[in-house]
Amino acid sequence: MNCEQYQELLSDLVDGVVSSEDRNRIELHLSGCVACAEVRDDFVAIVGYCHEHRGEYDAVPNERALWLRISNTIEAENLARSPENVPSGASSWFRLMNRSWHLSFPQLAAAVTGIVLVVAIATVVGMRQLSSDGSSVRTAGVNFATNNASLDDRYRQQQQAIAYWKDRVELNKARWSPEMRDTFDRNMTVIDTALNDSMKQLNQNPHDSVSEDILNDALNDKVALLKEFADL
Amino acid sequence: MKLFSSATRNWVKSFSVFLFITLTIGAANLAVAQQKISRHYPAGKNVRLELKNIAGTITVETWARDEVRVTATMDNRKVNFNPRQTDNGIVIDIAADNRGKTDVGDMNFKIELPARSSVDLETRSGQITVSNIQGELVRAHIWTSGDITLSGVSAARVFATNTTGDIFFDGEFSSGGTYEFKSGKGNITLRLPANCGFRLVATAPTKEIKMGPFWHDGMKKMSEGRRIIGDVGDGRASVTVTNYQGTINFLRR
Repeated sequence: MNCEQYQELLSDLVDGVVSSEDRNRIELHLSGCVACAEVRDDFVAIVGYCHEHRGEYDAVPNERALWLRISNTIEAENLARSPENVPSGASSWFRLMNRSWHLSFPQLAAAVTGIVLVVAIATVVGMRQLSSDGSSVRTAGVNFATNNASLDDRYRQQQQAIAYWKDRVELNKARWSPEMRDTFDRNMTVIDTALNDSMKQLNQNPHDSVSEDILNDALNDKVALLKEFADL
Repeated sequence: MKLFSSATRNWVKSFSVFLFITLTIGAANLAVAQQKISRHYPAGKNVRLELKNIAGTITVETWARDEVRVTATMDNRKVNFNPRQTDNGIVIDIAADNRGKTDVGDMNFKIELPARSSVDLETRSGQITVSNIQGELVRAHIWTSGDITLSGVSAARVFATNTTGDIFFDGEFSSGGTYEFKSGKGNITLRLPANCGFRLVATAPTKEIKMGPFWHDGMKKMSEGRRIIGDVGDGRASVTVTNYQGTINFLRR
């Protein structure tokens, strides 16, 4: 027992209505606890005063009215403390969070069962979704929309780089020897052919990972070749 | 009895003299126009040579000496040729040395170095030939047109790429090594020993991938035969072969 529990028994101790066993235990605690001993002394003083001055105080003029006032005060305090007594402008969340829930055992059991069912269903659906995503990773091109979008993005970005370097090459090209111009153009045609072929294949079969690889390689080759010859 | 008349004989004599003089002058002019430079550099066993050429052939051979000999033959006598010796080896950058010059012409290199050397060769056009290198790296890159021939090569990393031209590799793959061969338009031929082991990704949109004796049922054809993947032997080396518009051939030694 702690001090709070001992202090709840002090009133009974002072009134002399505790068992001898409890009395011994409380006395033992009071002998070692100054705080509880002081509370006990206060109780003894109050009770002693009341005993000494019994019959000396004036009776309440209207005893019933007094109890009604006390009752109203207690009810008002309870109402103020009630969670349901929320301001009129309070949000739904505030109302929900300040509402007290009184559930019977069957209601509580039903609620727990419902939560378990919802979690189980969500888990199964999630696992199935994850499983289908995994298969699309293993099988090239299953994620069709995403693949196409990323491919288009990459192609567009590369095209911008190609346009930039192509302009720089064209600026310098006039200074090249005819042999170099011919060699450059011939090899650029080789890369462009590979680009066009892979694009054609991808239009026929957007899932074709080989064509996608060739397209990426050829785009990188084209940018690299343009860069190399842009400095000439 | 004389077969030809004296007039005919005189004409033949005159023509012969004219031809002799013309050829002599032409050869002399050619010798004067072409410049040949030879440089020697001391080298350890593991030298690294970096060469970036503009146009012309590059030939790399090995020898038993601990030195590097670079012999350059150039069409244009005004071409700058400034090899630099670094801590690791030798760097020759003709492209950087002659930046802004419009008519550099062909520059042909012959390089002799120790067998344990690494070589990193690059040119905008021309042929590259490498023989008997057994160092860490062999890289041969031709930006446009030119054949690449790598024979007797046994390096841990080999990269051979061009846009137009054939690529021929005759060598061995080291366990754990990386090997990449790529051409835009040409034939790629790999000649390998029977007991070699590698993991292959070969891609040719023409579908002309001939595995020869290295084909087995464990290999997988993808995209209607435009790509073949699979392990040969222990599969320890990584081999990637890509050809946009040509064939890929595997031969056994």
